[in-house]
Amino acid sequence: MNDDQLNKLFTAARQATPDTERTEVAFETRLFARLREQRQAAVPWFAWTWRLAPVFAAIVIALGVWNFTAPTDPLADLVGDASDEAALVAMLTGE
Amino acid sequence: MSAQTGEPTDDRLIQSTLAGDDEAFAALVQRHKRRIFGIAARFTRNDHELDDLCQEIFIKAYRQLGKFRGDAPFEHWLTRVGVRTCYDHLRKTRHDRDAVALDNIELPTTDNIEPRRAREVLDFALAKLSAEERLVITLLELEERTVREIAELTGWSESNVKVRAFRARQSLKKILEIHHER
Repeated sequence: MNDDQLNKLFTAARQATPDTERTEVAFETRLFARLREQRQAAVPWFAWTWRLAPVFAAIVIALGVWNFTAPTDPLADLVGDASDEAALVAMLTGE
Repeated sequence: MSAQTGEPTDDRLIQSTLAGDDEAFAALVQRHKRRIFGIAARFTRNDHELDDLCQEIFIKAYRQLGKFRGDAPFEHWLTRVGVRTCYDHLRKTRHDRDAVALDNIELPTTDNIEPRRAREVLDFALAKLSAEERLVITLLELEERTVREIAELTGWSESNVKVRAFRARQSLKKILEIHHER
């Protein structure tokens, strides 16, 4: 195929303008129905904060309960304190 | 549209739409839908697909209306939104288009090829091109836009548009030759 043939094809195809009249009927109605659908489906971000409130409350309660009921090891605290103190002395004296 | 005819201008309708008046946007749609349908029809295969694509274009325009600065006519801005949405549509449906079939291709040798047949032959061949090539050649040859206009509509450089148009023509010729020989 040469350029001349291709140009003739384009010229002829240009005359076949697509008839869109049928699809245009009541287009606005369909468009706004879709827009309304999308608006209803869209949940603003701050709506999620309220939905997550019970989850946050449950986490706070669980942490509070754990804080009071978790077993503590006094020996571990003593050892921790002693080693911290030794490290501080070593740093200050340069040993 | 001017206020002389008693109809509100595009700018007035845009302001009302931004203030939450859906009726104003409906008036804008009514005013400009013919042009958008005309463009979108070049890239779709049936009425259902055309309706869907046009809805996408106007929804995108509705959502981006706040970005319209008014330094060019609304029609130009809307056409740009339309062309870019058509391009996205072409990219998304690229693989579906390979299935487009045509019984037999008769290459035109005379000036009086039937327009509808020419359109069918071209639709078949255009479906084999990349989204970029199809968009450029459609706007250039069927919509008769200039290279500068296409560059503005697509956001590509003018030299890029020229290169893509050249490649698209070469590809089209090759595709039509191959299928003519079969």
